[in-house]
Amino acid sequence: MSSNLTTISVLAVALYAAGAHAEDAAAPMFSFSGFGTLGLVHSSEDKADFTGSVLKPHGAGYSRNWSAEVDSRIAAQVTANLTPQLSAVLQVISEQNADNSYRPQVEWANVKYQFTPDFSVRVGRAVQPAFLLSETRKVAYTYPWVRPPMEVYHLLPVTANDGLDMSYRLHIGEWVNTLQAQVGRKNTELINNGGIAEARNSWGISNTTEYGPLTTRIAYQKSHVTVASMNSLFNAFRQFGPQGDSIAGKYDPDAKAYTSLGIGASYEPGNWFVMGEWGGVNTHSFIGKRSAWYVSGGFRVGEFTPYVTYAQVRADNLSDPGLTVSALPPFLAGEATGLNTALNSILSTKIAQNTLTIGGRWDFNKNTALKLQFDHIRIGAGSTGALVNLQPSFQLGGKVNVFSATLDFVF
Amino acid sequence: MSSIGLTLVGLALSLGASGTAAEVVAVVSAKSPVVTLSKNQVVDIFLGKASRFPDGRLAVPVDQDEGSAARDEFYATFAGKSPAQLKAHWSKIIFTGRGQPPIAVPNSIDVKKYVAANPNSMGYIDSTQLDASVRVLVTK
Repeated sequence: MSSNLTTISVLAVALYAAGAHAEDAAAPMFSFSGFGTLGLVHSSEDKADFTGSVLKPHGAGYSRNWSAEVDSRIAAQVTANLTPQLSAVLQVISEQNADNSYRPQVEWANVKYQFTPDFSVRVGRAVQPAFLLSETRKVAYTYPWVRPPMEVYHLLPVTANDGLDMSYRLHIGEWVNTLQAQVGRKNTELINNGGIAEARNSWGISNTTEYGPLTTRIAYQKSHVTVASMNSLFNAFRQFGPQGDSIAGKYDPDAKAYTSLGIGASYEPGNWFVMGEWGGVNTHSFIGKRSAWYVSGGFRVGEFTPYVTYAQVRADNLSDPGLTVSALPPFLAGEATGLNTALNSILSTKIAQNTLTIGGRWDFNKNTALKLQFDHIRIGAGSTGALVNLQPSFQLGGKVNVFSATLDFVF
Repeated sequence: MSSIGLTLVGLALSLGASGTAAEVVAVVSAKSPVVTLSKNQVVDIFLGKASRFPDGRLAVPVDQDEGSAARDEFYATFAGKSPAQLKAHWSKIIFTGRGQPPIAVPNSIDVKKYVAANPNSMGYIDSTQLDASVRVLVTK
């Protein structure tokens, strides 16, 4: 709802200004650009799907031997420079959605006012700079790997925010420091008929410091998240007295505070790079507490950039004893056991795994890069890892080998 | 021509004679008060991270067209970036709605014309093309 209003208002402002500037042919008013990825992925785990994202319902493994749905996407962007200080941007992406469609979604839609070259404010939809690559995590052309390390980047699977965003840049000698702050809200569609996850009263700040090839970032976000489809499960727990109340209070995602902290650094002098990030989230709901980090390095020889990455994510509470069934009268035992099973099934979907990645990027053409990547994933005991579409014979934990090939381009 | 210019031209000619790419230098208008910038400061302006000279005046960078030898040489020696890395850098900025690349002109002669006419601009040219309308930015 609010995204439609934002899109319409951005278009309305742009069209109005286009009319006003009809006589001014000096500067290009509208610019069109886009990016995309064509990818193929193969996974060795054939009883579940590897999707590269917690928001996609199908991928490689069980659904397809080779899946083009994991990484493929296309995006188009219109930027309107209405006055030297007022601009608007609309970016629409088509990729596999939670409901299995490829209906284009709005990633960015905002109007920006540049008060000074170093201070700007945006109203509308913007992506929060939670991690180093959060704002451009879908523009695969801009980073060396096939996809940003899931372990860290899926601590916050959604970083888009509908609201207000401001950016202030400070120059001290050769240091450039950018402070960004956002307030807003966001609705996200979940897979498996999970309904909508509502993030409300969200705010975040992010500080990025750059000195030549060195970039560092620290970011903090807080939001209140409700997943309505889960509330009924936990309301059922609440029928079971104080023990049920305590379980519901611990796990129910009902406007619970979801905080995250991210710290990252990258050093890219040109012929080689090294980067690493750490993130931690605390959700006061079934998603629990998670922390993750990765380290990656590579070097460039002509147009080839081979790289290696190690990433790890830990989750707490992958299971819970739940209600004490033996303490209940027999006619409630069945229902209580059912609730416990449902609870543990949800808890086991929390991602605990580590991945060793080796790959290479080839910039064979202006605007196009070809990447080949091999990921060796070790899923933590009791976790499903980041896999979805679990088949009855799927076993928690285990190892998965994923092979990916992508063609990334910008235009 | 200044002694710096003569030295550079001499260097460029000797390099040219041996068949390697001529040196590329950053230049401003001869009328610009800016004299010295560090390599990082020059690079920050061309990469869109800074929009002012250290003295506070507006800085407008001008590129040469994609694919030109001077452009590739400039970004390789000043910023350590290959054409693909430069494209990735600007893609990050374009696709977050944060700005756009500098305007680009076809060659060193057009850069000199632009820079000479716009005292707050900065460009890079083949050092063999130096003349009195522009001044080399001494980079420390």
